[in-house]
Amino acid sequence: MLTRRSILAAASVAAIIFSSAASAQTPITIGAIEILTGPNNKYGIAIKNGFDLALEEVNKAGGVLGVPLAIAYEDSAGNKDQALNAARQLIGARKVPLILGPTLSNEMFAVGPVAVERRIPIVGTSTTANGITAIGPYVFRTSLPEADVIPVTLRTAKEKLGVKRVAVMYGHDDAFTKSAYDVMKGAIEKLGLETVATETFGSKDTDFSAQLTKIKALNPDAIVVSALVEAGAGILLAKKQLGIPDSVRVIGGNGLNSPQVPQVAGAAANGTLVGSPWFIDKADEANKSFVARYQAKYNMAPDQFAAQAYDTLFIVAKAITAAGEANPQKIRDALGKVTHQGVMGPFSFTPDRDPADTSGVVVIEMKDGKFQIFK
Amino acid sequence: MPEFVLPEVIDDFLFTYQNLVYSLGIHGLLALSMYVVLAVGQLSLGQAAFMGLGAYASALLTLKLGWSLPAALAGAMLIPAAAALIIGSPTLRLSGVYLALATIGLGEVQRLAFVNSDFTGGALGLSGIPTKAGLVSIYGSLLVALVLLVLVARSKIGRAMEAMREDELAAGALGINLPAYKLGALVASAMLAGLAGGLNAHVSSFISPNDYGFDAAVTILSFALLGGLGSPFAPILGAVILTLLPEVLRSLANYRGLVSGSIIVIAVMFMPRGLLIWRMGRIGVSSRRPS
Amino acid sequence: MLAQQLLNGLVVGSTYALFALGFTLMFGVLGVINLVYGFYLSLGAFIALFATQAGLSIWLALPAAALTTGVIAVVLDGLLLTPLRKAKAPELSSLMVTLGGTLFLYSLANLLFSTDIRRFPVGVVDATAYDIAGMRVSMTQLLIMGAVVVMVSALLFVMRGTRLGLGLRAMAERPDTAELMGVDSASLVRLVSLICGTLAGACGVLIGLNYNAIQPYMGEVMMLKGFAVIILGGLGDIRGALIGGLLIGMLETLTAGYIASTWKDAVGFVVLVLTLWIRPSGLFGRLAAKRA
Repeated sequence: MLTRRSILAAASVAAIIFSSAASAQTPITIGAIEILTGPNNKYGIAIKNGFDLALEEVNKAGGVLGVPLAIAYEDSAGNKDQALNAARQLIGARKVPLILGPTLSNEMFAVGPVAVERRIPIVGTSTTANGITAIGPYVFRTSLPEADVIPVTLRTAKEKLGVKRVAVMYGHDDAFTKSAYDVMKGAIEKLGLETVATETFGSKDTDFSAQLTKIKALNPDAIVVSALVEAGAGILLAKKQLGIPDSVRVIGGNGLNSPQVPQVAGAAANGTLVGSPWFIDKADEANKSFVARYQAKYNMAPDQFAAQAYDTLFIVAKAITAAGEANPQKIRDALGKVTHQGVMGPFSFTPDRDPADTSGVVVIEMKDGKFQIFK
Repeated sequence: MPEFVLPEVIDDFLFTYQNLVYSLGIHGLLALSMYVVLAVGQLSLGQAAFMGLGAYASALLTLKLGWSLPAALAGAMLIPAAAALIIGSPTLRLSGVYLALATIGLGEVQRLAFVNSDFTGGALGLSGIPTKAGLVSIYGSLLVALVLLVLVARSKIGRAMEAMREDELAAGALGINLPAYKLGALVASAMLAGLAGGLNAHVSSFISPNDYGFDAAVTILSFALLGGLGSPFAPILGAVILTLLPEVLRSLANYRGLVSGSIIVIAVMFMPRGLLIWRMGRIGVSSRRPS
Repeated sequence: MLAQQLLNGLVVGSTYALFALGFTLMFGVLGVINLVYGFYLSLGAFIALFATQAGLSIWLALPAAALTTGVIAVVLDGLLLTPLRKAKAPELSSLMVTLGGTLFLYSLANLLFSTDIRRFPVGVVDATAYDIAGMRVSMTQLLIMGAVVVMVSALLFVMRGTRLGLGLRAMAERPDTAELMGVDSASLVRLVSLICGTLAGACGVLIGLNYNAIQPYMGEVMMLKGFAVIILGGLGDIRGALIGGLLIGMLETLTAGYIASTWKDAVGFVVLVLTLWIRPSGLFGRLAAKRA
């Protein structure tokens, strides 16, 4: 008895030593496809930073199933084809039991079907478009889709500002902004708001004066805008230039939830309302410690993409532990049951593999060049 | 139940490189489509647009009408051919730059049309296209196109095309019907690009309006310019090299634009009378510039 | 509202006209569709951006950036196009070289500057909008419209009323004969590149000031509109660039204001295709529609 127990003890001590000396054991390697190079790499880098910070903590705490966890990164450079090649490489050659990413919804639409075909779970951390998880039963996402965030923003505007008549503007040639618009349209109808005008623009447009002149004449209470940073900032500037009063707020989707907006639009950005699945100044302990450690490690402030990635890695590690082995099918089944209390708030998956809990959503407001919690 | 089971190693290998193997064949077809236009001394920057038209046409035929793959591919060739007729008939009578500019215009109008129509899925594109195409259909198409083009190159038509490349005025004086040849070449090239698009839609299962923009058009041009126009095999070689390069040198992917751009500049500058340009070059030498 | 929309259209149209001037001049005299032209616009904007960030006043940065861009245009023309001119290569070769060059330069700018959107430091120009007869108009908008008037008049004067213009027109009509008649074509080519590059650079700065949206690809977006403008106006015609630019800007604005904004960006290209069908030589083109 005694000997067996001491052997066991010795074994577990060894396990701890080995796992802290990470590379001494064959790790469980999962794949990740992110935009690490090219013009959009700021998203991919933030996500990778989030993963790596969480990975460090997971491995410090003993890894998964007694061995360290490792991530094999592949770069998609924001290119659909390259993302596809990367996924095939990870699944066919590296034999990973799970894939994190890819960064963009467009890439997920290309990569998702391949993962489903091979029955490999794939977890998007930044893919917010409609229809992502409908690709198939192995596609998960941890990022709150716009469908969960925008209604909260609009409801808040209605309740706190008394917004009743809105004009809508959206980028019609971009999958992200179009998909967010579809959500806005639904939410506006559900809240019983009146839409006085719906105007579109191209994602590369710089001139919005025609649309805003028309909107100004209709005198709405607020302008609901689905745009990426470039066009969004242009709209805010043109709105001010055309003399639309500050009391007519711009209510944005996640595209406007970026520190770049005030950098470009300056004072014209003040008053902009957006909903965010995460906010840097959220007061809970988990968030404060995450922000501090991220800042210390990377010498910059985390953004929502880093936060989402950070939480996701813990969720995935929990699922692998619960699965008991690095088996794609078992991990998939375990993912559905994971619960996690992370920096974004409480987390679990719906039966459709979307995030179940929206209580983490914060509505924020631009004030003097910085987002603050809207009160 | 699977009909037959491949050994796992081979199966994994095919799975890993499937996208690459398919891309090679499809890019080969696109390079051929570019070759056909350049072979009569014209420049089209609408190959990506023709490809997109073929992709959308075939995807819609499959998704909405349930057509079989061969029928959908036929549609993928005919609709771009019609677009080529509309664009080509006024512009091919003019100096070469008009076709180049008009085809850029075509690409933009088409992108906006796809974006604005709910029927084509708008900005979100079309997803869930059945992946019915595969090795046989892609490489079969490439082989048939290659054989046909080689036959044409060796026939009377091929000699007429060569004469046009060498000296358009002289060729015209010899009684070669220049506008008809040019239009024929543009239509044939649109059909090839449309076919490539149709195959692409049926292997990737998801297409969106922004996949077929100006960048794609320029990449297709660089296939043909790198390979040259000596024979139909040359542009295919160019496509193979430029498709494999970013895969072999992953880090190169970020510099794709730099590489394609340099290839075009170097090919045109340092071989202006060489294999690539000399053959297609002579048109326009004596044509007076508009002012 | 109509007055404001017409003003909006005038401003947008002025930016198109400003851009198309140098583009069409380049084609008119040098006989080349120079696709690098759009890049000059981005370049001018970036040079002025860095100059103002370094503390230079915009009124110095604007001419400095425009001229620097002009000099770079001369260098690039010498590198890319002069060898082809010497070899008497066909016009499509030049078009392809500039296409490759553009792709290369944009990719490079992209790697160096990233695609993040930037703006001139706040307050480099007076950003207040003035209320004039119920219309809102800003300083930069007046500046753009003024620049169009000045530049069009200056170019027309040079082309029509000076010896230099005579040489340029001679070169446009018959390059070989012009040379025989004693026109120094090599230095005229450089001069035209300098003028066109300067125009593009200035245009980039003004557009950057007006929309506060500076990023490497800003020239490429303008380029697509530029094609429509110069084809509508007639390739190589200065008046055509002005009228074509204003017309397309106005049509776009009115389409967005009174029909549907979804079709705003299609206007230019529909005009382009229609022009090619109905009157390929454009509004003012003479020899442009050379039949093959």
